[in-house]
Amino acid sequence: MFKKLKELYDYREMIISLVRKDLRGRYKSSVLGFLWTFINPLCQIIVYTLVFSQIFRMGIEKYYLFLTVVMIPWVFFSSSVSGGSMSVVNQQDLVKKIYFPREVLPISFVTSCFVNMLLSFIVVFIVVAVSGIGFNPVALLFLPLIMLIEYILALGITMVTSACTVYLRDLEHIIGVLMMAWIYLTPVMYDISYVTENAPAKLVSIFYLNPMTSIAIAYRDILYYKRIPQMQHLLVAVVVGVVFLVAGSIIFAKLQRNFVEEL
Amino acid sequence: MKPGNAIEAINVKKRFKVYLDKGSSMKEKLLFRSRNRHEDRWVLKGVSFEVKKGEAIGLIGKNGCGKSTTLKMLTRIMYPTSGTIELKGRVSSLIELGAGFHPDMSGKENIFTNASIFGLNHAEIERRLDDIIRFSELEEFIDNPVRTYSSGMYMRLAFAVAINVDADILLIDEILAVGDVSFQAKCFEKLKEIKRKGTTIVIVSHVMGQIEQICDRAIWIEEGLIKMEGKPRDIGQAYLASMEEKRLQKKEEEFAEQRKGQKKASTKDLPDFSDKTATRRGNLAVEITDFKTLNGNGEEKVVFSTGEDIRFEIHYKCHIPAPQVDFRVGIARDDGVHCYGISSYSETGKGAPVKEEGYAVLEISQNTLLSGKYLIDVGIKSTDQIAYDVISGIRAVQIKNVNSYESGIVKMKHDWMFGC
Repeated sequence: MFKKLKELYDYREMIISLVRKDLRGRYKSSVLGFLWTFINPLCQIIVYTLVFSQIFRMGIEKYYLFLTVVMIPWVFFSSSVSGGSMSVVNQQDLVKKIYFPREVLPISFVTSCFVNMLLSFIVVFIVVAVSGIGFNPVALLFLPLIMLIEYILALGITMVTSACTVYLRDLEHIIGVLMMAWIYLTPVMYDISYVTENAPAKLVSIFYLNPMTSIAIAYRDILYYKRIPQMQHLLVAVVVGVVFLVAGSIIFAKLQRNFVEEL
Repeated sequence: MKPGNAIEAINVKKRFKVYLDKGSSMKEKLLFRSRNRHEDRWVLKGVSFEVKKGEAIGLIGKNGCGKSTTLKMLTRIMYPTSGTIELKGRVSSLIELGAGFHPDMSGKENIFTNASIFGLNHAEIERRLDDIIRFSELEEFIDNPVRTYSSGMYMRLAFAVAINVDADILLIDEILAVGDVSFQAKCFEKLKEIKRKGTTIVIVSHVMGQIEQICDRAIWIEEGLIKMEGKPRDIGQAYLASMEEKRLQKKEEEFAEQRKGQKKASTKDLPDFSDKTATRRGNLAVEITDFKTLNGNGEEKVVFSTGEDIRFEIHYKCHIPAPQVDFRVGIARDDGVHCYGISSYSETGKGAPVKEEGYAVLEISQNTLLSGKYLIDVGIKSTDQIAYDVISGIRAVQIKNVNSYESGIVKMKHDWMFGC
């Protein structure tokens, strides 16, 4: 295990160069190029603002912000897990030709989604500042921690899915469907209070087993409600994330032995 | 691992599953279970070897014997089904050059990407950058996108990166076919230099010369097992001799089949006993009806050793009253070099008498041809050189010359003497 970590550290340059290639390649040959990284989330926010202030009246103050501060982290999570499932299959030319620790592929994919989220957050910060909601500097200190927890969780799940997809290509589509359902099981578009007020206590605790629930709540607490997130709920996310990461690494290490023959 | 060893492979076996009809989607996996039937093919059946630090070994063997699979397992692209492989130190492989090259990125950017795949960090690449560019001889083009490169330039860049990684173990698969002749020579020099620095090298190659020059030891793999191991020169000789033996054996079998009439000469004008590629001319007043190449024991052969007796038998039928004729036999190497020719008329000064039916024999005792493929021409002409029946390339014979270092066309008696 320790040996693997050291090896991955030795291959950090490869991870960095794959991330760079992915970020630059994403909007390649478009006129605005890298600017799209910022235009995309900005347009997203504009659409939310128009829709939820003119068409759907949600009864939540500044709903577009309420939505955006969680939607952007959610997009990071869902795109790393669903896109990441193909990260090994898509790089099969590399995998078949040359040795490198295969973990590099899911790691760099998730990392590039993560960097993309960080860049989007620049836009989010600007919008939050402009909207007049303002910041709570103490709460903001917790933001990197929440991001780290989400990163670990996304990476752990992607390790499992990327290795399994090599053996069963259907997984890519199955995960697509799962992610679609998952967003409604997570308080992204609605507040957690809808669930806690209307559902029996038993269901609520099951609801909290979803690691993304507490992560979503934490983002909203920090950026929308301007309060320090409740750490006891986050514990679930931390535990699930770490379990997935450890189990994912073990599963990945086992499955990667036959990658070349299966690809 | 024993101290001083860089590679240890212990009883390595590798099985490939050969799917008859593979389905990888879930529907296919569940519905058509029977389709997932596969055959097991054991490519390696238990190979063990050790390589000392700084040693260079060559793996040889014919296609499909498992040598490339062995190399792939050494690089850890694949893993053995059973047995263990241990390596000590950083491994660089020249198996597939240019992995991860992006056509739209410049040569320089690709150096960084490609080198990072070998596990180098930014500072290490930066330090080697000049060496890599200089070695690739692409100074002028290094900022152009790689898609504008010729295939030779592409390979040169890829090779330059791979060889400048400074690995402890270098694995090479048939690569010295990179670029033009001068670049090849440069690669070869570089390899020798790397070896002097104490890098362990494993080479897979068909070219015995390269292995003999670089390697300290050769391992001959056949059908998934190590057949022989030792000095490259000895192994190379044994390997080549065995390959040649097999090839010639096949030739002999093919000829036997043709003789049996199963494979008739396709051209209508050509008689059954001649090779398909032969050409025939003449008025057929005197007609060749059979031709045999026999060895000293009177057995019909198409493969002879240097020094063996060869007997050519020309059978004929004569359709005109008692002429005097000239029997001619010529031997040419398959690239057209005329090696030998003899005419009975020129030699004896008179025409040979022929009856209605008969034969002429030319006996060569202890032929001095060196190994190669030779075509036999046979002709019957009148004494004033009117062609009755001339068949060029009537038979191809192989000469084999094992355990000899002579090259060229003919064997010569020779002795070495060294004065001081």
